[in-house]
Amino acid sequence: MSETIPKLQYDAISMGDEGPVVTLQLSRTDLVRYAGASGDFNPMHTDEVAAKEAGLPSVFGHGMFSMGLLGRALTDWAGVGNLKVYGVRFTRQTWPGETLSTKIVVTGKEETPDGKIIAAELTLLNQDGEVKLSGTARVLAT
Amino acid sequence: MEIKDYIGTPTGAGIIHVERGSVSRFAHAIMDANPVYHDLRASEAAGFTAPPVPPTWTFSANFLGARPEDQPQDSTGEKGNPIVKIMQELMKGGGLMLHGEQEFHYHQPVQCDDVLYWQSKITDIYTKESKDALMTFIVTENVFSNADGAPVVTEIFNLIHRGK
Repeated sequence: MSETIPKLQYDAISMGDEGPVVTLQLSRTDLVRYAGASGDFNPMHTDEVAAKEAGLPSVFGHGMFSMGLLGRALTDWAGVGNLKVYGVRFTRQTWPGETLSTKIVVTGKEETPDGKIIAAELTLLNQDGEVKLSGTARVLAT
Repeated sequence: MEIKDYIGTPTGAGIIHVERGSVSRFAHAIMDANPVYHDLRASEAAGFTAPPVPPTWTFSANFLGARPEDQPQDSTGEKGNPIVKIMQELMKGGGLMLHGEQEFHYHQPVQCDDVLYWQSKITDIYTKESKDALMTFIVTENVFSNADGAPVVTEIFNLIHRGK
């Protein structure tokens, strides 16, 4: 059984505090790599010819790739092993060439029988501020 | 059979071996170079006994870690995953299937060399009228447990059909 130490200091966290920003200019290579590593080979994410035949301007990103990227910002912030709940709603597709960035904002603090919990609101946005993903997380603090 | 009658129906079960290669490749694919996923020394320094998995790894687990020789009996009673039938039924009238929402509840850390036992079922099906379409939501819950039967991760998958 592993024993990880939460990275966030409960008393030092305030409402409205923000987590680290992870930024990525999305490329087709990123989507092919995610397809290979996740097993999701839906051609709408990897095959430009098939995507155009289906009437799309190009391939678009896997929703779970976006969730993975936002999850990386979360674990950078709270430390790997300290997530309790992580949920998202997929609101818009992501497109190659867009610059995606993560946003984590603290919305709550709570001492529970399971430990000290920080609640946060999450978003993944493009360069124009368009929301691709919105969600919430609950993470352990010390 | 009405679509709502599928609530409670099992959608599958399986056994997953959490292997280092798949975990490291998956972490790289979500742009995560954190050595805790790649280098055992960093994993141990962070309190793990093997590299842990990124938060969304289990979503791909069936592709990444299933071995045909040790899979359990088909939990759907050889009827196949009912989601396929539901999608066919809904798509008869056209429309679009979308991955609407995804949620993870973490009960215990998952790390390499763990063996996970998953079991999934449909927990809810409901509809909502939007401006110009009927939306059907199909909620599936997938529970991953350890060898002792204790849950480690619960996934909630919300699939949406947007009708015409």
